[in-house]
Amino acid sequence: MIKKSGIGIAALALSLLAGVMPAQADFWSDAGAKYKGVVLRGVTESTPPSNYIKDVLAPEFEKKTGIKVQIETTSWDQMYDKAIKDMEAKTGIYDMVYIEQDIIYAYLARNFLVDISKSLKDDPSLKAAEFNETHFTTFANYFKNGSGDLFGIPMEAFIKVYLYRTDLFSDPKIKEAFKKETGKELAPAKTHQEYTQIAEFFTKYGKDNGTELWGTTAQAHTGHPASWYEFFESIAPTYGLYNWGIDAKNNFAASVANGGQMNSDKAKAAMKYWLHLRDIAPPESAASTWTEVGTTFAAGRVAQGLVYGENAAWIASDAEKSKVVGKVGVALPPTEPDVLKEVEAGKGYLGYYDGGAFGLPVTSKNKQAALLFLQFIGQDSVQPDWAVAAPRITNTATYNDPKVVAMDKKLNGYYTMLKDQGKLFAGAPPFPFHAQVREATTPIFYKILLGEVGPDEGLDQMAAAAEAELKNLGYRK
Amino acid sequence: MRPNTVGWLMLAPTIAILGIFGIIPFIYVLYVSFHQWNPFGASPDMIYNGANNFRRLVFDAEFLTSIAFTMKFAFFAVLSEIALGYLLAQLFMKEFPGRGFFRTIHTLPLIVAPIVVGSVWRLMTTPSIGIIPYLLKSWFGYDLNIGRDATAAFALTVIMDIWHWTPLVTLTLLAALLALPKEPFEQAQIDGANRRQIFWHVTLPMIRPAILATVFIRLMDALRTVDEVWMLTSGGPGAATRFVGLHIWKIVFPKTDYGYGAAISVIVLYLTLVMCWLLYVALVARRERKRTF
Repeated sequence: MIKKSGIGIAALALSLLAGVMPAQADFWSDAGAKYKGVVLRGVTESTPPSNYIKDVLAPEFEKKTGIKVQIETTSWDQMYDKAIKDMEAKTGIYDMVYIEQDIIYAYLARNFLVDISKSLKDDPSLKAAEFNETHFTTFANYFKNGSGDLFGIPMEAFIKVYLYRTDLFSDPKIKEAFKKETGKELAPAKTHQEYTQIAEFFTKYGKDNGTELWGTTAQAHTGHPASWYEFFESIAPTYGLYNWGIDAKNNFAASVANGGQMNSDKAKAAMKYWLHLRDIAPPESAASTWTEVGTTFAAGRVAQGLVYGENAAWIASDAEKSKVVGKVGVALPPTEPDVLKEVEAGKGYLGYYDGGAFGLPVTSKNKQAALLFLQFIGQDSVQPDWAVAAPRITNTATYNDPKVVAMDKKLNGYYTMLKDQGKLFAGAPPFPFHAQVREATTPIFYKILLGEVGPDEGLDQMAAAAEAELKNLGYRK
Repeated sequence: MRPNTVGWLMLAPTIAILGIFGIIPFIYVLYVSFHQWNPFGASPDMIYNGANNFRRLVFDAEFLTSIAFTMKFAFFAVLSEIALGYLLAQLFMKEFPGRGFFRTIHTLPLIVAPIVVGSVWRLMTTPSIGIIPYLLKSWFGYDLNIGRDATAAFALTVIMDIWHWTPLVTLTLLAALLALPKEPFEQAQIDGANRRQIFWHVTLPMIRPAILATVFIRLMDALRTVDEVWMLTSGGPGAATRFVGLHIWKIVFPKTDYGYGAAISVIVLYLTLVMCWLLYVALVARRERKRTF
């Protein structure tokens, strides 16, 4: 009896104790409690993945931790302008900055960023169990230093793919007309020759039939660096010309005379191929950046083209913005013979692996709270919904989620390609002088586009200008 | 002479603001212009290099081209705005139905941010998509492609500037015309002057200060135009619309060549001052000197 009543009293005491004790909180509320009321500020480019952070992940984080997050989404130029000025002047306005893959080397060279891996190791109380660096795709390697420490949480990654119109490529009448004209079956191109033939056919087909249809896209703006990027990141590699033709191991040589490749025969052939495509592309191509190329394809004005992955996804799936939903096929970009073998052997790359990460500036005044937020957006559990809302994958755990598998079907295997063949693509070369060399050579590049200077002569001038700028910057001795 | 302490006290806030936001940054820009400084260079430090940046820009074909295009742009834009602004001001002086309404709506472009103006004009002029290429093709069979046609792109930047800023000129000249006394005009009419003579010998001399002030404001604005043109053409095709403001922006921000960018800024400021001074001497000082003889 005494024993029974003792157990009863103990149970009562336990339940009373449980009643007065605070509820057992999860990691986020526990870790965030110390920083409650802190306001984190981030700046990023206005893209669907960034908007998802702003609209979904930031409010969710705020709810769980009590830490406020303000994400400023702006244009690509403004985003860099604001972030660099802040880090340069050490004002500490931003706690998170978007780091596009191509600028990470410049940021690391200037020691702008906090070593995330080391910071979490140094203060284990900040480490979330759900955050695991090893779950990121290989794209995360671009944001690591020589010791393998992470300096940015990958938040978007895309490959620039070859898109084609499945409805046109499978139309029996068009197929017959193509065979009659070329003697070949109409199928997605594997080589430049095939691609040119298909492009010429569809441009002529559009003209003959009085429809607004052209054979190819061309990101060939005559005043915006988008055209320069299309050439060096998407066209030149398919000719076996990598790293813009600059040999970093050979005193940063750009010209053939000094051991570089920027004005090599491969570069000149690639330029002529691309200029021809530009000439048979829709008229807006000369004023098109990556955005306009996407809208041109989505408007159903072209049969095929090279399109950035972030645009490829909405073109294929968003009926509110695209006229070609359900009519988009995805393939690897066409190459010169043997280049694909070279790339598969790991000696080069096929096209651009685009994307970015969120980094923590050393000038931030709220580093600990920002580390929590960066882990929050990097954890496995938030990835699938993010991948569906704003098609991007940076985490290997995302691929097999049922929602992502369903989305992959909608995108005609884009995610499968990213998973299986993403290794054939590469980000920008590891140059800390990225924008400087680009800006030194674009004026000549635009002259080539306008026909003010021939492609051969123009590339020679570009190689010389690149070397002069590298010398001026102190990289080339 | 007694010291005007109250006057200085009242001026103090303005002087402080001018000093903090105008003079100190200018001195800093001047200081930077004598250095080689690219934070993404192999050595990110500021290195004193004397007048090398200024020497470099004398031989910089891109800079000289941008200056030439900017002068051309400023000439056509400001001249057209003054002429059109005066005509509109004269029109708004007359009585006609709906005058108040038109006076109001013609100022609407002034309240639109330049970046928005550039975006709207870009939408209207994008080949194949914009309304302007569509109408030009339908009416005149002319293919407008601002990505390829340098002359058309340049002309469009001028037209866009005229569209945006003519209302400012109209407002200034309208205010000047409304403030003119009636007597000189009545006297000229009694003396038998015709409309052309009244314009040249009465109206124009009387509104000259307003015209000059407007020309100075518009000229300085035109010489530093960036955002509208950046949105419309990004400086292209090629360098056709890479005006000096845009050129400086490209040197300072994407290229991060701070020293050289600062040197160009200083020279452009100097050129602007010289141009305004020449204009002042040609249109005001000479006339005043004549009057004293």
